[in-house]
Amino acid sequence: MAFEPRIIGFLCNWCSYTGADLAGTSRVKYPFNVRIIRVMCSARIDPTFILKALSDGADGVLVCGCHPGDCHYVEGNYKAMRRFALLKKMLRSLGVEEDRVRLEWVSASEGVRFGEVIADMTEKIRKLGPNRIKAELILDKAER
Amino acid sequence: MAVRVNPKLIDDLEYYGAQDVIKCYHCGNCSAACPFSKEPFVFPRRSMRYLQMGLEQRLKGTLEPWLCYYCGECSEECPRGAEPGETMMSMRRWLTAQYDFTGMADIFYRSWKAELWAVLIVALLTGIGLLLYGFNWGGGNLSIYDGPQAFLPSSAIHTFDWIMGGFLLVLLYFNSLRMWYFVMKEQRVPKIKLSIYIKKLYVLFLHFFTQKRYSECERKRPWILHLVLMFSYLTMLILIMLFLRQVQDGPAIDWRVHVFGYLAAIGLITTVILAIRGRLKKTDPYHKHSHESDWMFLILLVIVSVTGVLQHVLHRVGLYAPANIMYVLHMMGVVPMLVLEVPFSKWAHLAYRTFAMYFSELEVEALKQQAKAQQPIDAARQVPQAA
Amino acid sequence: MEEQLKIGVYVCNCGTNIAKVVNVEEVAESLGKMDGVVVARSYKYMCSNPGQEMIVNDIKNLGLNRVVVAACSPRMHEPTFRKALENAGINPYFLEMANIREQCSWVHDDPIEATEKARVLTSAAVNRVQYHEPLEKRSVPMCPATLVLGGGVAGLAVALELGDAGQQVYLVERENRLGGNVARVDLTAPYLDSARDLLTEFITRANQNPKITVMLESKLVELGGYVGNFQARVEDAQGDVLELAVGSVVVCTGYKEFDASRIKSLAYGWLPNVITSFELEDMIRKGKILTNEGKVPQYVSLIHCVGSRSLEYHPYCSRVCCMTALKFANEVKSAIPNSYVSDLYIDMHAFGKGCEDFYRKSSEVKTMFLMYEKNHPPRIREAGPDDDCGMFIWVKEQLSGEEIEIPSDLVVLMVGMEPREDSESVAHLVNISRDKHGWFIESHPKLDPVATTTDGVFIAGACSSPKDIPDTVAQARAAAARILAKIAKGEIWADAIYAEVDEDLCSGCRMCNELCPYTAVEYDKATKRSHVIYAMCKACGACVAACPSGAIKARHFTDQQIFAQIEGVLPWHLNHVS
Repeated sequence: MAFEPRIIGFLCNWCSYTGADLAGTSRVKYPFNVRIIRVMCSARIDPTFILKALSDGADGVLVCGCHPGDCHYVEGNYKAMRRFALLKKMLRSLGVEEDRVRLEWVSASEGVRFGEVIADMTEKIRKLGPNRIKAELILDKAER
Repeated sequence: MAVRVNPKLIDDLEYYGAQDVIKCYHCGNCSAACPFSKEPFVFPRRSMRYLQMGLEQRLKGTLEPWLCYYCGECSEECPRGAEPGETMMSMRRWLTAQYDFTGMADIFYRSWKAELWAVLIVALLTGIGLLLYGFNWGGGNLSIYDGPQAFLPSSAIHTFDWIMGGFLLVLLYFNSLRMWYFVMKEQRVPKIKLSIYIKKLYVLFLHFFTQKRYSECERKRPWILHLVLMFSYLTMLILIMLFLRQVQDGPAIDWRVHVFGYLAAIGLITTVILAIRGRLKKTDPYHKHSHESDWMFLILLVIVSVTGVLQHVLHRVGLYAPANIMYVLHMMGVVPMLVLEVPFSKWAHLAYRTFAMYFSELEVEALKQQAKAQQPIDAARQVPQAA
Repeated sequence: MEEQLKIGVYVCNCGTNIAKVVNVEEVAESLGKMDGVVVARSYKYMCSNPGQEMIVNDIKNLGLNRVVVAACSPRMHEPTFRKALENAGINPYFLEMANIREQCSWVHDDPIEATEKARVLTSAAVNRVQYHEPLEKRSVPMCPATLVLGGGVAGLAVALELGDAGQQVYLVERENRLGGNVARVDLTAPYLDSARDLLTEFITRANQNPKITVMLESKLVELGGYVGNFQARVEDAQGDVLELAVGSVVVCTGYKEFDASRIKSLAYGWLPNVITSFELEDMIRKGKILTNEGKVPQYVSLIHCVGSRSLEYHPYCSRVCCMTALKFANEVKSAIPNSYVSDLYIDMHAFGKGCEDFYRKSSEVKTMFLMYEKNHPPRIREAGPDDDCGMFIWVKEQLSGEEIEIPSDLVVLMVGMEPREDSESVAHLVNISRDKHGWFIESHPKLDPVATTTDGVFIAGACSSPKDIPDTVAQARAAAARILAKIAKGEIWADAIYAEVDEDLCSGCRMCNELCPYTAVEYDKATKRSHVIYAMCKACGACVAACPSGAIKARHFTDQQIFAQIEGVLPWHLNHVS
């Protein structure tokens, strides 16, 4: 049985979620491995969401926002970008692989691109293999 | 080197018939529509631009107006009604005036009244001159038309014709030299070697006699009519210049000579009537605009043709005195027409257009040779691919 | 209050759009087994009337207090289903939708995988909806007075539109006259009608309208409050400060012209016969076009794009100069019929009504149009004593490919538009942003050109970007219409979804204050706590994610709700190696 990654995507309502909807209306086909959670703006995304997703067993997390300069709320994506940079630093030091957590800018017109991002990310994570964090946490608990 | 702009040039050209050139906004449809426009001679847009900008220097040395035969396609395609066809025609008139060192062409194009006065004065002088001659040195008797005792003996007229014709042609070809000078100075081409001049000499004769390029236009009719007109003239010219005595001898009809005359006369009269009709009806694009010089030309032709036919007819039926008078009137039409048209007006195109075809071929050949010479250098310059 | 959860799950077929790939019955059946789910149905078209009635009936009959609809994107029908809940008598925010069409059935081919994904997404929605709270919209009162900054044509149009509707307007103008930049102009393109007539009508009506209070030589010094309830402090000509209560502010401060002396090759400020467009307007209004030496110019040249469309100065197009230049060509030709007018442009922007005809008409008066290239601007030099003109302009002309020199006695520079020097301070005062050139930013460049990110503050006219009089007046009236609509409602309804500060948890660190692009988070110095002005909050959540104490809650997007969703999407039954 091949390993099928589980990826959670946090998409902002105005650009990336609409872009993903456009992928749907355009019947772009992409891997089924992603599950999308909608937020109003990428600025809403608390780093704890990503940490929770990883510790609950997600093999990858995708954060999507509007292209810089296009944020519906003026500069929310810049805030997301800054938080994400710091989070990545922390994740690296925790040993989480680079390709597991990814930030992408997807506009409302980039349906095809959204599909490409999902396909690309799925493949990369498939190569990385499953995320060991949840398994280790369970083992850890069991050992106590 | 920056070229000086003369903002007044465009007002000037109005006298030559260019009224709408300012409307052109350079879409290029005209150059695309023209069947002859191709590198390095792309027209009419470039000439329109030179004119709009008053680049006198460039315009003076341009060949492009002469490469145009006024089929009128460009004017039909123009979305703004800028009349590129007529603008090219007015440029031909202007260039004629530029090449003319006497300045007379300039005066005549600007003022139709001056043209008219000139025609009338020359006509009057001719008439008086001929009558004086006829009564004092010629036969002296109005009732004798032909033979050595004629009022106007053909030998005398023959001499007169050759002198006048020769003088006018010399004027025209001197102006043509000026044309060569302006063109060669202005055209940015490599120096044209003598060998090219000789190689392409046949072009002169080819275009002069066949107007081959005209036949390549979409509309064939104008070419055919022009060819007929031209050959009628040529026939008349040859008859008058070389066979005047045979023509004038009479009153019997010498069919070996006169048949050509009749054919030529028919040709002339038919084409002139068609041209006048065309200019009045204005259905063809190249007849939509008529400058005063166009009408002057046609009217003179009508006078000359009619009087020419009449004097011949009168002579043949035996009315010698009226024939002589008609002959004088005929000459009073011919002389001013030739004096005006050959060096200073429409007929000048027989030299200028032919030379323009020749010069353009020279340029193309020179550019071709330059490109060929450049090839081995270019090939040598290419960096060899890494093995 | 712990109530027993009664969740209704509805899985839509959407005809064959979802049902072709996703086994909707299987999803409904599986969901029916979840804790708290009282009923789980599938139906052909949930958004149809019978579909909605199904939900309404189930709510009434089964006492449902949470509803999950698995169907198309919530961007499509969330409002539809919220209305259904409202009709049924429960709070509309007790709805959650799962997107199993655009993000599932339409993008996946394999029915097994798609069905599993649909099941997962719907169960995550069920997880989330448990934490939904009843949310109510709130309202604030709307003060009907309006403050208009700037008494140019934009400000006058706004004031008149509002004043004629019987609403109070305070028209604050910095100078001692109304009319702004249009008052410096004689005729307008393309119809050559008089700017003076245009303005006189506006100014007279503004002065006569009892509802419009014109304050000349006055300026705004402070603006506090929020939409519907602003407190403005205006300093008048005598130096007194007046307190005005207004509900909306419209910024119509206009523009200033580019300083042509910055471009050395045009010799402005050095050669006396090189003038700007406004200087020519001055001459035209006074009735005579003359060179500095008092002579009638024979050659007049117009140069477009001075300071505009240039990477060195301003990259944008100032929009009005092309048609103004044509206007000048016509005016010069009618004032001096023997003159020769040349017009040097990069492109001819004849975009508006009547403009292309105007262009053609201008060429019929024999204006010489010369096209120069952006990277090779014209250069002006003095002519010699033997030349019949005062100056020569060197140009690399594009349509002929020639480098030419044009004689000229008078050169008119079509200077571009720039934001005013005080635009920065105005932006700070009213809390709007400026773009990289300094123009005020609108809420959305295409769909919302007169509103700004600050609710209640509008912009109209050239202060947001270069524009001509028709567009300025259109924007002014649009802003006035928006304000009148708000006034008609009488109160401002704030969206129920906004951020809320739990003041007990707030430590007063004020990190959230700076993050809000709408300045909706205010710090109260007395209580040393921050709070959100719900009327201004747009619910982006930037402050929520930043709060170190977790004191700010994003209503309807709480951490709890999102965590529930994360937990809901992760379980996986097929092909997963744990």
